Amino acid sequence: MCRQCELKPVIVLSNNTKGLCKSCFLKYFERKFNRTISQFKLIEPNQKIGVAISGGKDSLSLLYLLNRIKDRKRFRIEALLIDEGIKGYRDKTIKDAKRFCRELKVKLTIVSYRNEFGYTLDQMLKKLKIKPCSICGVFRRYLLNKYSRRLKFDKLATGHNLDDEVQTILMNQFRSNQEISARLGPITGIKDDSKFVRRIKPFYLITEKETTTYAYLKNFNIPFCECPNNTQAYRIEVRNFINNFEQKYPGTKHSIINSFLEILPSLKEKYRNYEEIKYCSQCKEPSSKETCQACELRSKLN
Amino acid sequence: MVKVFIERKNKKINVDAKDIDGLIKKLSINKEEVIIVKNNELTPRNEKLKDSDEVKFLSVISGG
Repeated sequence: MCRQCELKPVIVLSNNTKGLCKSCFLKYFERKFNRTISQFKLIEPNQKIGVAISGGKDSLSLLYLLNRIKDRKRFRIEALLIDEGIKGYRDKTIKDAKRFCRELKVKLTIVSYRNEFGYTLDQMLKKLKIKPCSICGVFRRYLLNKYSRRLKFDKLATGHNLDDEVQTILMNQFRSNQEISARLGPITGIKDDSKFVRRIKPFYLITEKETTTYAYLKNFNIPFCECPNNTQAYRIEVRNFINNFEQKYPGTKHSIINSFLEILPSLKEKYRNYEEIKYCSQCKEPSSKETCQACELRSKLN
Repeated sequence: MVKVFIERKNKKINVDAKDIDGLIKKLSINKEEVIIVKNNELTPRNEKLKDSDEVKFLSVISGG
């Protein structure tokens, strides 16, 4: 029974053996979302927050919740969606994103690879012999930052949840990528830069099982849709490993996040002056090299 | 036979199972990766199943 009111539970929390009924779970979820924002100071009054949406359950739940608290917390929101041009996938999720933004009366800007780079991702894959996720990762990050700045967002909120973060932490650990781990956390990045819009993750402490349960109970009616190019074999293996471990030893994911949060300030401090932020010689966007990865890919395309 | 829908595979099948745990084992589903809906109610714990029951396994994994 529910640990608070003895009704039938809808979820058993992974770090707790007791369940929560619908009403107690919704309260728990929203409290955790609010607490994450205040604990990590993700949003300040009068800020304009961009919300990166894909049309999936996590980003649309995030948009719904930010929209609900924006007046009380005195900030503004706008949605931003990157249309990679993936037939049978993104065209479907865009419909849900548009419907959702219309219902919530939130302004939505859609930026497409086709308009920006001349080709859809489907067309790029025919021209380049590179894994789809490698192209997508570079171009999506590039456009999210460029348009966050153009739309004058103070921060960009993403639907990344606890599971996403735990997977990335372990992947970086297994590959000894400490510097990349230093950029993680509820607020991404190591230091402020006028050309770099920092990302915030209000679902940082919420599992994907919880976000799915929330979207289901709120009747958001977002069908599951999987990218046909999902080739992140390494991430999938790490995800399976963590989920098997969590099933055997409940609470593992929370322990990983909690210990990571303890060492994160030292990591950020260590890498603060490790590498200067440079600007791409061609597009002037922030880059770690003379020419940014997006411009390198663009030259291969043309 | 229990009517089963696996969202991630978009697959509907009939399975012989006495309870949810038995069904999960039979289908090799990791409980961490789904939420379970039995007769339109979220069912987080093991429950007995009867012939007319409908069980949906909804994927919690992001699509990409």
